[in-house]
Amino acid sequence: MQKPAHWRSADNRIGLAFIAPFVVAALVFMVYPVLESVRMAFYYIDPLNPDAQRFAGLANFETVLRDPLFWSSMGNAAYWTFTSIVLQTVIGVGLALLLHLPLRGISIFRGLLLFPYIVPTVVIALCWQWMLNPEIGIVNQVLRGAGLIDANIYWLATPDMAMLSTIMLNVWKYTPFVTICVLARLQTVPTELYDAARVDGAGVLRRFTDITLPQLAEVLAVVVVFRTIWTFNKFEEIYLLTRGGPGTSTYNLAIYSFEQSIANLRMGAGAATGVIMMAMLFLGSILYIRLFRFQEDA
Amino acid sequence: MDDNNAGRSRRKFLEDLSLLAGGAAAGTLVPALPAFAQTKSSASGTVRVWGEPGPYGGVAVDGMNEWAAKFAPGLKFQIESLSWDSVYVKLMTDLAARRPANCISVESPIAMQLMAQGLLEPLDDVVAKVGKNRLIDGAKWEYWGAWKGKQYVLPAHHQPHLLIVRQDIVNELGLGDPDKWDWNDLLKAAQTITEKKKDMAGISLALGRNLCTDYHFAALLHSAGGRMFDPSKQFEVVFDSPATVEALEYVKALLPYMPKGAVGNSFLEVVDSIATGKAAMAFYWGRPYGRVWDENKEIFKNLESYNHARHPKTGNRSNWNDFQGWCIPKANNPYIKEVKAALAYYQTSKVWPVRYCHSLVPNVSPVYKDVAADPALQTHPFYETKKRTINTYYVDSLKHSSSTANELLAGVNPLAGIVHGRAILAQTVQKVVIDNMKPADAAKWGAKELESVRKEHFSLVI
Repeated sequence: MQKPAHWRSADNRIGLAFIAPFVVAALVFMVYPVLESVRMAFYYIDPLNPDAQRFAGLANFETVLRDPLFWSSMGNAAYWTFTSIVLQTVIGVGLALLLHLPLRGISIFRGLLLFPYIVPTVVIALCWQWMLNPEIGIVNQVLRGAGLIDANIYWLATPDMAMLSTIMLNVWKYTPFVTICVLARLQTVPTELYDAARVDGAGVLRRFTDITLPQLAEVLAVVVVFRTIWTFNKFEEIYLLTRGGPGTSTYNLAIYSFEQSIANLRMGAGAATGVIMMAMLFLGSILYIRLFRFQEDA
Repeated sequence: MDDNNAGRSRRKFLEDLSLLAGGAAAGTLVPALPAFAQTKSSASGTVRVWGEPGPYGGVAVDGMNEWAAKFAPGLKFQIESLSWDSVYVKLMTDLAARRPANCISVESPIAMQLMAQGLLEPLDDVVAKVGKNRLIDGAKWEYWGAWKGKQYVLPAHHQPHLLIVRQDIVNELGLGDPDKWDWNDLLKAAQTITEKKKDMAGISLALGRNLCTDYHFAALLHSAGGRMFDPSKQFEVVFDSPATVEALEYVKALLPYMPKGAVGNSFLEVVDSIATGKAAMAFYWGRPYGRVWDENKEIFKNLESYNHARHPKTGNRSNWNDFQGWCIPKANNPYIKEVKAALAYYQTSKVWPVRYCHSLVPNVSPVYKDVAADPALQTHPFYETKKRTINTYYVDSLKHSSSTANELLAGVNPLAGIVHGRAILAQTVQKVVIDNMKPADAAKWGAKELESVRKEHFSLVI
């Protein structure tokens, strides 16, 4: 039954009232900063004299694109993002399959799984710094106790190990997000599909590749896109754990942008880096979704 | 001195201090130095004071609060500590947000950058009240921060890093007198210690991308006769020099005798390495003495500091001396008048400057002659066994003083703050010790970065 027009109008007003706080928050905290960043990318701005701004045209983009550190930061960001996402996806799907098993008390494990995701990053980074301390950290103590290493590993003091450490932290913290999303989808897959496959003689691997994975494709596409964007933009985990070091071995573009803005006093160049990152992620996301034919399948 | 005596002595000292403070509060113990008229202020609120980690900033603020209690009862001065490696970021973001602290004590290169950028209030009127002729011999007002004829920074202390050694290890291995060492002797000593003492590194330097590395490397650079900029030629970049290459090669030669992980180390790790006995020598300010006094009396007993080893050719023994002082942001600061009065009050008291130095002996050296000569200064228990070391920090180091903000004391350099913000010296060192770049190429890289700083901020130095 269709509601009278004045009811629909009242519904609309209530709907608008409910959505208004989000729209206002989005305008203030998302849209405005993005537009301001785009504007700043075309100006010379010294943060100590923020009132003395000069139009720079494309000079900030030129500065950034000519800087070898920008390109090495991009390489680091790509490596860190790709490795983190692959590990998060593989481990996340594996954990989701385990947590999907109808075992007694499994809900406790499902609840515990969220722990790394809900703890503030600054707390995690500080804990990891202590855990990875070469002299007194628990990681080296355990590895030495188990006889796996003879000499202490300097997790954050060598370029390769520092990158590995930041990836480990990212994977540990965000794998639960993948697991929860995949688990939710798994619980909606009709069990009849598996029953029919068993009748047809399909083994575990075949059921996984021919039923589970295709059913997960859509959710994985969304999860991977979101995780890629969020991981590529990540600042706080790397900055808190290594500050981009040793040297510039764990610089990504977010840290590069921060250093340009604050340490180098080049707010325009920092903003230009942000604009470049935004464009890359926008194009990458479109490409990715098209490759997965997400829209058509949905 | 055994531990019990040390403990009694420390307790006695603290009792004396409380008596001193009580007397000062009553206004009966020591009259203020140059007397000047104090005017009352009706201002109210909290006066934010930035200082580096350590008790001395808090002591100065206690002195300022004593002024407030007498002359501005509505005001409360409050210390906010900024850790060294985040100081630049905090300063820049707060200044950009137009919300600076009302009074700042910060590393001298950064203070000088702020001074040349026109962000600070001139303090010549405060200097006149404090006493222009009080400065210790061997120091000049400009070392703390003067620009184009005006004083912008009021001295708080001077703070050189020296060569800290474990005298027991040096003696045991027959390594000679550290005061007579040149670079080759220091390298040999570091090697010998590493080879002969199990689980002990010969020397601990910071090599991470941080301020501490900048300060350690700068001392070597200046000892070798090199520098970043030439103030006599409009701050032309002179970093791409044989002296820089030599200093970088020396760091590389010392690296095998440093703690593993030195390439990531900063202030804290260097102090840790000395305080825990993981290293026998370090470049450091006086801070470890307080730490080992509290944590390991045996190490305290055996710790001594010397002016740095001589460069074999130049004979330089340059340290990196932080001539640190108080400055006042001039914009968005409603308490300029009150901060000036409070600074003058605490600095002309005989009690507060002594307490300031006493709060972390021998890390913060006295800057005024009358304070340095005050018998009260020597009541600190460290004087019982560390008089020579304290004297080296306080007095003897001055003739070897250098700084990135005033390289080889040849001219104030406001570009140094930006250089440190970008960690250019530390990154140059890391190119060699992490990326295995040739020192000559790293020097060229560093020179290019410095040229970029000069080009972008040339207006600061003309």
